[in-house]
Amino acid sequence: MELMTRKEVWNITYNHALGKTASEFFTQIKESARILGRRCPSDGRVLVPPRAFSDESLEATDEWVEVGPGGRIEAFTITYEPFQNLPEPPYAFGYVLLDGASTAIGGYFKGIDLSDPARAAEKLVVGTRVKTCFAEEKDRIGDVLDFWFEVQD
Amino acid sequence: MSDRIGIIGIGQSAFKSRREDSNYPELVREAVALAMQDCGLGFDDIEAVVYSLSPDAMVGIGNAERLGVDAVGAKNKRFLRINTGGSTGISSVAAAYFHVASGACDVVLTAGADKVGECGDSQTVLNKIWDPIYERPLPLGTISMLAMSAVRYMHKYGMSEEDMARVTVKNRRHASKNPNAHLRKECTAEEVLNSRYLCWPIKLYDACPQSSGGCAMILASERYIREHGLDAVWITGVGHCSENYYLGDRMSDTARADHADAFALKNSFARAYKQAGITDPGTQVDVAELYAPFSNTEFHAIEAAGLAELGASPAMLREGQFDLGGRIPVNPSGGVLCTNAIAVTAMVRVAETALQVWGRAGDHQVKGARRGIASGNGGDHQFFGTMVIEA
Amino acid sequence: MAYRTRPAVVGGATTLIPNSTGKSLEELLYDVAQKAVASAGITYDDIDGIVVAANDQYDGRAISVMAASGPVGGVDRDILCTPSAGEHAFVTGALRVASKLFDTQLVLAWSPAEVSSFSEAQRLAADPYYHRRLPLDELSSHALQASALGASVENLADLSHSVLTKNRANGAVAYPDIAAYSSGVPRGDHPVRWPIFSDMIAPPITGLVAMVLAGEDFVADRGLARPVWIEGMGWATEPSFLGDRNLGGLPSLEAAAAQAFAEAGVSDPVGEFDVAELADATPHQELLSYEGLSLCRRDGWEAALGDGTFHADGRLPVNLSGGALSVNPIFCTGLMRISEVARQLRGEAGAAQKEGAARGVAHAASGIAMQYNTVIVMNNQQPGTVQ
Repeated sequence: MELMTRKEVWNITYNHALGKTASEFFTQIKESARILGRRCPSDGRVLVPPRAFSDESLEATDEWVEVGPGGRIEAFTITYEPFQNLPEPPYAFGYVLLDGASTAIGGYFKGIDLSDPARAAEKLVVGTRVKTCFAEEKDRIGDVLDFWFEVQD
Repeated sequence: MSDRIGIIGIGQSAFKSRREDSNYPELVREAVALAMQDCGLGFDDIEAVVYSLSPDAMVGIGNAERLGVDAVGAKNKRFLRINTGGSTGISSVAAAYFHVASGACDVVLTAGADKVGECGDSQTVLNKIWDPIYERPLPLGTISMLAMSAVRYMHKYGMSEEDMARVTVKNRRHASKNPNAHLRKECTAEEVLNSRYLCWPIKLYDACPQSSGGCAMILASERYIREHGLDAVWITGVGHCSENYYLGDRMSDTARADHADAFALKNSFARAYKQAGITDPGTQVDVAELYAPFSNTEFHAIEAAGLAELGASPAMLREGQFDLGGRIPVNPSGGVLCTNAIAVTAMVRVAETALQVWGRAGDHQVKGARRGIASGNGGDHQFFGTMVIEA
Repeated sequence: MAYRTRPAVVGGATTLIPNSTGKSLEELLYDVAQKAVASAGITYDDIDGIVVAANDQYDGRAISVMAASGPVGGVDRDILCTPSAGEHAFVTGALRVASKLFDTQLVLAWSPAEVSSFSEAQRLAADPYYHRRLPLDELSSHALQASALGASVENLADLSHSVLTKNRANGAVAYPDIAAYSSGVPRGDHPVRWPIFSDMIAPPITGLVAMVLAGEDFVADRGLARPVWIEGMGWATEPSFLGDRNLGGLPSLEAAAAQAFAEAGVSDPVGEFDVAELADATPHQELLSYEGLSLCRRDGWEAALGDGTFHADGRLPVNLSGGALSVNPIFCTGLMRISEVARQLRGEAGAAQKEGAARGVAHAASGIAMQYNTVIVMNNQQPGTVQ
């Protein structure tokens, strides 16, 4: 007897409601290439990406604040290993604290030669200044991948 | 004291990459049978079962706990499942603990298994843990998530890739003495440093394997243990605590938690220590099994456990303080770095700690260990469970 | 067994949304948790721990507790998740309070309607070894159960129609804007899974249920209003494979009821309860519940439904809320049964309120063909202190 295996694939579709706050955020990205956060009235922190409430104060946020386009790298990694349903490596991504924001937002880092890991990592160290770059208006769909970050010269 | 809660039985598989000889419930049953044998009780003695299972998609069976009911002998009994991601195993032991601590039950079984090797790509499943609106479109996985923790830890405290390699070397050496560990081959720092990058700065040898196997534990009230003349070690502290969901919320000067560290793990330990009456873990703890799936994360776990100041653990590890034979051995089993069957990984931390203070850990026994600690991390470095176990 | 302290339900909130929500799941969770905590007359600082339940395959989120944790107050708190069933979150929360290690717990379950097909999501729960290739969703399992019941109950179609009519009438009172078919019961359209017809089930809607639990000392210290005490809890489980079960009965419900009734000292369920909320994803489930809870054996179903014992004005009204036959937030229908009993005993059930309801029983069922059964006995008089 041979030990058998069976291949099974899960494939289910979802339509996730984004809510007003995220809808406004993505509309501003798509139409105006602007990144907005929401301010928490109790501690003044500006949440980026915007949330309707703060999970720390548990208060509803009440004010839109435009942030960036400049910012500082808070974390990065460079992926060299291929994973199913993720992009072909290598690619760099991570989190940026945009000017005026209290929390960091994720995005790709582009414009860096990634062939030498150690040298590429040096260009992206925590604290490095970056600027937000947006796709052409016709290519923006209202998603976090409509923008990315490039190191400022 | 007459209301303590004891661990009376432990079973765990010899973990491997693949277990094509056993399907999923059979693997659960393997661990359950070992635990039952260990305590000498029969299924009629078990009043309730807590089923330990992390994401359904990882085993490829929705609500796979339903399929596990028979494997754990739960027909017509109290049964429920816990899932807090990677911390599921320790959360399940905690839930079993609450069954007894409430007064509802005297004897409770907790068990589970995982077959991570059967999942086509666990990182694909794990990308779905992020919210579909803001963070999932990023190429996030658990490796890249904790690579970013390494980057921040390097930035804050100056950890090097060599420091990370030393964790792997230590844990592989420990695992070589543990017959249940998955990766049992010792390795050198050079081998770690020369292994290929997965997500910078995490290399292949800085990362845990995908393991298959099960774990089961039986808990009982002190009254029951005394009345039945059973042998036990005691759970004297239980804690849980959580961080923000969005990774970016842990990355700024004003954030409550820093992704470099393990803020909620520290608070979780504080809760467990308070219950156990531990005030100075650095001198009161003999052994630690700390959840660390990547080499770098063992450092912040050691610090959150209060065994080192923030940023001080790489130097202490270099001095051998956390080796078997060192001041406070950390992960004498080889830890998550050498064995990761996600649904039960954090339960194995508790089981290994219990075996240590019981004096039953075999070749990787910490001499004279009387008090140990265990931890589990789940979600996107979000949920943290901790326990104190004493002889 | 005696609990170290008796847990009580001290607050709760339910959100039910039949159509598009306009809010994200996280926003809905935030709203319902805030309302539940406020309803208890306490603040979030008083919440010691949280237990939640959801289904990854319905949510489209792996480890669904992750997204929920922030909105429901999980940051810097102890939060657990019981994805086996919403009612298991309640049980776990109650055990945590009963242990005296926590003063309070917030318990939540939710069920968004964002998946393209509940049936497809449910079929992933069939094991890939023997059952995945069968069309085995939950409704199919309920149909198999109904047909097994039909083998020993002659007039099952009429009995199930009586249950349906009763619950739909109750639903029209309790949730007039939301309940399915509140204007009346259509009959005899097409069978969706024989012997279940499309009019015997309510369409899935988005729902979130939150409850706040507290122990005796906390209730007394804060002077919390209208606590509903948990007198007994039982929960038990059927075997994994349908083929291993006699689908025409529910031994696990009998076991769960035996646990709960022994703790609560219940010997005559029909006589001792003022209200009951029973599992009723299909009318047949409610019939099985009558028997499993010793409310009425199957040979008495016709008489009991005929004389109105379980109707709104009967001796023991069952599903005054309309049940899942009227309002069907799939994954949280179990926790909703418990919450509806608590609302009755707190006098918060609005148009559906039964005057003077003091003691009640909730039965929640989840999984394939009611695999999990949970029974909770509650009383708004503190047991042992007031008679």
